[in-house]
Amino acid sequence: MGGALAVLAAITLFVAFGIRLTGDPAVALFEGAGAPSMQDIQRMHRAFGTDRPFLVQYVGFAGEALRGNLGTSFRSGQPVSGLIMERAGPTLALAVGGMIVALTVAFPLGIYAAMHRNALADFLIRVASLLGLSFPNFWLGIMLILILAVRLRWLPPSGYSGPVSLVLPCLTLGVILASTLVRLVRASLLDTLGQPYIRTARAKGMPERTVIVRHGLRNALLPVVTFIGLQFGGLLGGVVILENVFAWPGLGQLALGAVSYRDYPVVQGVVVVLALGVVAVNLLVDLRYGLLNPRVRVG
Amino acid sequence: MAWRQGRFVRTGGVLALCVVLGALAWGGPVGAQSTVQSRGRSLVIVQAQDPQNWDPIATFLLSWGMVGCNVFDGLVDRGPDLVIRPGLATSWKWISNDVLQFKLRRGVTFHDGEPFNADAVKFTFDRLLGPEGAKGPQQGNYKSIDHAQVVDPYTVNFVMKEQDPVIITKLAGYGGMIVPPKYVQEHGSAYFGANPVGTGPFKFVEYRKDDHLTLAANANYWGGAPKLSAVTYRIVPEAATRVAELQAGRADVAQGVPVAQANVVKNDGNLALLTVGSPTVTEIRFDPSKAPAGDVRFRKAVIAGIDVQTIIQTILGGYGRRVSTFQSPLSFGNDASMKPYPYDPTQAKQLLAEAGVKPGTEVVLSFPSNNADFREAAQAMVSYLQAIGLKLTLQPVEQVTYFSDTIPHAKTGQIYEFGWGGWTLDFDNTANLLYHKGEFWNPVFSDADVEKYLTQERTTNDQKTRLTAFLGLDHRLYDLAIDFPLWQQINLWGANKRVQGFVAPPDDRVRLLAVSVK
Repeated sequence: MGGALAVLAAITLFVAFGIRLTGDPAVALFEGAGAPSMQDIQRMHRAFGTDRPFLVQYVGFAGEALRGNLGTSFRSGQPVSGLIMERAGPTLALAVGGMIVALTVAFPLGIYAAMHRNALADFLIRVASLLGLSFPNFWLGIMLILILAVRLRWLPPSGYSGPVSLVLPCLTLGVILASTLVRLVRASLLDTLGQPYIRTARAKGMPERTVIVRHGLRNALLPVVTFIGLQFGGLLGGVVILENVFAWPGLGQLALGAVSYRDYPVVQGVVVVLALGVVAVNLLVDLRYGLLNPRVRVG
Repeated sequence: MAWRQGRFVRTGGVLALCVVLGALAWGGPVGAQSTVQSRGRSLVIVQAQDPQNWDPIATFLLSWGMVGCNVFDGLVDRGPDLVIRPGLATSWKWISNDVLQFKLRRGVTFHDGEPFNADAVKFTFDRLLGPEGAKGPQQGNYKSIDHAQVVDPYTVNFVMKEQDPVIITKLAGYGGMIVPPKYVQEHGSAYFGANPVGTGPFKFVEYRKDDHLTLAANANYWGGAPKLSAVTYRIVPEAATRVAELQAGRADVAQGVPVAQANVVKNDGNLALLTVGSPTVTEIRFDPSKAPAGDVRFRKAVIAGIDVQTIIQTILGGYGRRVSTFQSPLSFGNDASMKPYPYDPTQAKQLLAEAGVKPGTEVVLSFPSNNADFREAAQAMVSYLQAIGLKLTLQPVEQVTYFSDTIPHAKTGQIYEFGWGGWTLDFDNTANLLYHKGEFWNPVFSDADVEKYLTQERTTNDQKTRLTAFLGLDHRLYDLAIDFPLWQQINLWGANKRVQGFVAPPDDRVRLLAVSVK
């Protein structure tokens, strides 16, 4: 717990300091339509509270954040916690949906490829995964929109309106995640199948199916689960781009808008929430190891 | 050789899949019009950005104006023809040198039922000029107003602090939109920013940030009932997705069609492409404090060495118009008879030789990194300048850093990009903020003649005297060649052909009162 708090403090301090070095929220609000005068900028800084020394601002933010108050957005005048709450749902739906697609695709294909190593199917699966890796996220997203939404008209091109609108973005995210995952499942399973205890299991006369599922897959899962956990941060990066392409009202768009307008309270708030998420996921991953592999059970 | 073959197979596979996907993506949708018709009299507009706050004093974004002009009214109004006409005021006159009197429209109510009257006007401007307005960027635009004074329920005086010849136009701007006093006081500004109430032809229904905002027709609008029943503005940041929504028939109007997709819209039987010259202009400015940009011969050589018309034709797809000063042809103060300096590389080399600039001299061009069109243009400029013996280095800078640090602290190269909205359509705003010594975005340049013209135009309300001053200023700036005006931006809109009466507005204020669907 202490470690997690230290991580949070370090991250927020770094982000709060870094974002203040790079630009002025008062100037950003003018956006080339009117030039601010020195007086305009000073008066806006007083209103935002950004005329105070950095440490005073940071301590104020951290103290309030510990009490659950993340401050008020410069741009929208809304409480940051509310802004995050209303975006968390769509982003979570996208991330979980994408992960489900990825797992459903990657596990059967990865296992199949491992079991038919160097056969044509293995080759095709590997080529397909390479293709998935080669496509830039946004390009794949736009291609799927053009094919499935514009040409075939099976799905809405973008937006957040009911379960149907989840399909395209989750599919895109799922394909991208599955591409790496399928290779990992294959490699990890092959590695495990070469272990002596697999030979023992086979020698015992166990059916091949049981060997693969109970002894092979279970051990092969360890690196895969680690990867999924580590991937969580990367997943959020992919989500930002896809939210933009699919006009998805999630945390990614909130963060992107906040950074490009230097809306400090929103940037800091989103970072706190995301950092908490990453810490929590990694904690869960660590705990799961014990369930998967008796060798890492402690005490 | 094995890896080589492997790579070949992989590359081949990628290419093959691209071709298949491309072939599938080719061609228009089937039956898009039935989706469109199912919406009846309600309209869907896809726009690029969500201003996040619908309070008129909180933003400068054009995306606010797209929606705001249908929810709110100002005392005066500027339509797509850009002519000022009565809005919530029926008439106005200067009753003394520093008092501007407005007679207000009677029988108007806000969407929540509150009456519109002189108290509402006073409340609006007290709020704009007070601490609430201090949090937003609009306040500075109205600083020439000292206060608004109620004379009787339908007469308001604006007492001026200083002369402001553009004040009437500014009152048609975002910050001058009249807000409902009781509603704002009861609910507070944060609530008002997410649930706007005005007197306009459409009233607010619902808003989900970064997703959509819905308005319904205000049947009691003082200017007559709208023909549409409802409007939904959907926020779709990616331009290709906006075009896809239009093609799929799920949107009626799309803002910001990218040049690369202009033909997709044009060639679709259900869609129309509309173009309109905007007040936005793009230029390259010189920083005269950095050698050799202090020498007018160097500046004129750079101007003569770059073929802007060809850049417009190729990179902007022809969707740009050459300008000779840093204002659009829509701007009061623009001299239409002036011609931009011609492209003449021979003369450019001669000027450089006269100025003693050695071949191979390095010139740094700074620009905001998110401006993709300009980046391409800048790459073309590298080869144009190489041809006259200058080595152009490109220095992209993140946008907010660029405007809040690089420009104000004169950290740019000898030349730097500048884009500008010119929303008042009067050169006053642009000229004073960009050429007057010591302004935030003009840390270096100053010229006695320029100062003289600026004072002349600003200290009178007589438009003839002002025009003369502006024309003098135009020619002075042209001769100094302190900047290199490039082009006026032409905006592209896509619309479904069922939409009737839609006019692509130069200032992005899409007025929907007269729009209908068939």
